[in-house]
Amino acid sequence: MVDVMTPQTPQWWKKPDVKKTAILWVICTAVIGFVGVEFHVRSMVRPASETMSGVISLMRIFTWAAAPVAGLVGAMCITVLTSKRHYGDNPPAEADHEIRNSPRATALWVVVSGILCLFALVTGMIVLQQDNKAVLDTQAIQINVTGQQWVWNFDYANGARSQDLYLPVNKPVVFHITSKDVKHSFWIVQMGIKMDANPGYTTETAVTPDKIGVFDVRCAELCGLLHAYMQTKVHVVSQADYDAWLTAHAATEAGA
Amino acid sequence: MTTLTHKSVAAPGKSIIEKLNVFTALALGIITAVVVWRLSLAFLPQDADGATMFTREDKITLLSMCGWFVGFMTGIGALVGPFRWLMGKDLSHDENMFLAGQDMGPKRYLRYTTDHKVVGIQYLFITILIFFLGGGLAMLIRTNLGHATGGWIHPQAYNSIVGTHGILMIVGTIIMVTGPFGNFIMPIMIGARDMAFPRLNALSFWLIVAAAVPLMWGQFIGGISTGWSAYNPLASQAPLGMDGYIMYICIFAVSTMVAGANITTTVVKMRAKGMTWNRTPIFIYGTVASVALALPAFPVFFLSQVLSAFDRALGTTFYNTAGGGSGWLYENLFWIMGHPEVYVILIPAIAALMEMAPVFTRRPLFSFNVAIMGIAGISGLSALVWAHHMYMSGWAPLLNAPFMITTELISIPTGMLFLVLVGTLWRGRLWMTMPLMSIFALLWNFMIGGITGIYLSDVPADAFLHGSMYVTAHFHYTLMGAGLTGALASLVYWFPKMTGRMFDKTLSWVSFWLVQIGFNVAFVGMFAVGLAGQPRRVESYAPTFNTGNLITTIGAYTIMIGMLVLLYGVISSARNGVKAPKNPWQAKTLEWTVDYPIPLENFDVLPIVTADAYGYGKAKS
Repeated sequence: MVDVMTPQTPQWWKKPDVKKTAILWVICTAVIGFVGVEFHVRSMVRPASETMSGVISLMRIFTWAAAPVAGLVGAMCITVLTSKRHYGDNPPAEADHEIRNSPRATALWVVVSGILCLFALVTGMIVLQQDNKAVLDTQAIQINVTGQQWVWNFDYANGARSQDLYLPVNKPVVFHITSKDVKHSFWIVQMGIKMDANPGYTTETAVTPDKIGVFDVRCAELCGLLHAYMQTKVHVVSQADYDAWLTAHAATEAGA
Repeated sequence: MTTLTHKSVAAPGKSIIEKLNVFTALALGIITAVVVWRLSLAFLPQDADGATMFTREDKITLLSMCGWFVGFMTGIGALVGPFRWLMGKDLSHDENMFLAGQDMGPKRYLRYTTDHKVVGIQYLFITILIFFLGGGLAMLIRTNLGHATGGWIHPQAYNSIVGTHGILMIVGTIIMVTGPFGNFIMPIMIGARDMAFPRLNALSFWLIVAAAVPLMWGQFIGGISTGWSAYNPLASQAPLGMDGYIMYICIFAVSTMVAGANITTTVVKMRAKGMTWNRTPIFIYGTVASVALALPAFPVFFLSQVLSAFDRALGTTFYNTAGGGSGWLYENLFWIMGHPEVYVILIPAIAALMEMAPVFTRRPLFSFNVAIMGIAGISGLSALVWAHHMYMSGWAPLLNAPFMITTELISIPTGMLFLVLVGTLWRGRLWMTMPLMSIFALLWNFMIGGITGIYLSDVPADAFLHGSMYVTAHFHYTLMGAGLTGALASLVYWFPKMTGRMFDKTLSWVSFWLVQIGFNVAFVGMFAVGLAGQPRRVESYAPTFNTGNLITTIGAYTIMIGMLVLLYGVISSARNGVKAPKNPWQAKTLEWTVDYPIPLENFDVLPIVTADAYGYGKAKS
């Protein structure tokens, strides 16, 4: 409980408005946390990789970590709004207590927000570390991604080339992304990965799909006239299907 | 004080200063532009064969726009003073009085007038105009996105509308508090007779007018099809309208720098006797933090666009990888401006609400020092966070972690601002007015904007969210939900001082609720489609995003109605509102000690300040 009253007041926690705020704080925290998490999780696409599941649980954690702060502000606002309101063209009498500051409340507030900030940082860093490691995986399938106005091209190690992405399930993949013209951004929506395609440079991102199905690739960086239509599909298939598809396409490429 | 006798200035008719106004400026601007256009058409050599980046049309367009700019600024009279200095003279006292708009009536609003109150009203007018245009474009965007098959606007035009809406609103929100209220109210609030550099004040306003024309011009020569961020190399392949954007930014950046230097100097040097830093109102801190933040940021913006113009017109390759440049250079320059810039918008709006909080709760501001620490902390950190816009650009993956740290640290000083507002409201006697409710609206909207900002600052989560509608909703929550709310409250709060009449109460309430409800409906819908995977800046989308987009469109129309009600309120209240008393809110800052109409130099006798402006409430017994 943040003490925003004069520290000297004896038994400040027994005042009715403090009690009311405390109860409201619990309620507000629960409501905000629950609604916030449900809103995010229900709106978000179903995950098709561990990375995306990680993103969803991060959102869950951050929402719950932020809920008490938002809940306290909300509770105090409700308490204030439901107590002394004054309507009219002239101001009400001035408040009886002159509370210009409260060093204790301020210190507590700063320390708590510092701890929450640190918590968010550490949580984020741990996940970031895993993502960064995945890019260096040399055992992974390597696929070159080339964006151009307004299609994606995928080049596989055996020389196959496609405009729909094919991936085997449960195998780590590293994408090497570049662009032929302007900046694009390679986004596999359900897998929670994104990386810009820059002309003249190659950038990397990595993911391990963990569901069989058809997912979406969308361009997430305005790239001109048909940016909205620069989309394609990812087909995540079993290893056997993937191998079959790859050989078939390598053959057509060679024959062509 | 001598009154100006027009005839005494120059015997054979009017002096040059008296002849110049916005019409001569427009005329001279257009004439110069046309002359430069014909000349460059005639004399510029043809491009070499096969030179893709070396385009004659870009040179002609940019030169003509420069011609417009020089002509307009000459025509408005910006060069009269500097020219006199070159001649070793200065303006006479009478001329200075004329420039200040003494005894001139409404005509002074159409001139290079130096009185800060005139400049404030001019800024208010142009802010309303910008919001009208930018809002209109937003309605086009939302109408187009109302249903999935929508797309009745051609993609090229759509992209241009998105870009123009973006840059108009960015400029509009940058000036919405520091322009009207920073110019009109701030000098009176600190007990000064005018700004430190009155002529620079006029200059900063007319530069914005001069800047607006190239932007509109650009709409007719291909538009700004790159979004407001105008990333290269997309911008180098964009049509000629891009040159309009470049000129607009360059001129606006100069305006911002001029205004920043002026406001900062005014506050540092011209506060009334006894107004120590501890007694300076918090709104002043907010204004200074905002413009001081713009001082280092906007030269970088200026530079980024100059290089962009070189790439387009002169065949340089600053941003062209094939020629040794890099698109990442542009991104860095752009966001070194772009992130401080959001706080340039936000801080004065929040500070204005902090100024109002004690007035409408009849309590002192809670923890004045913490408020200043918060403002200073945000300003300082905001210069170090720019690359969080580039987490997914691939520029420097190793820098993601440090930028994540600086970004998330901003939540601490931001939290301080929440503490100050909530602490002030606590146990206050709420005087239920639109500005007071705006504080609650700000807390609500900025809480949502702030928490969603934490998700976005987290690199792994941003890998999913970046470039989606979620980002769009997030920054609308901060810039509009928090920023615009503060600006609208400021308008209602200071309206009596600026117009002498009260803002119509009913209209202020109606518009408040329409805007706030519409806003929350609109952008919650946008959060949802962003989470579901809709990218930003798309003119059509998959059918799954239908519902969310429809909700957003409905919300957007509600905002539009609310804003139109507000506009009607401004016009009708300014014309036949109830006459305002000197101090309708019983506030304790200095601007409420002067009568309406405020005399040219604000105070007959300069005030002496003996306490801060927040001495509400009895000392506790």
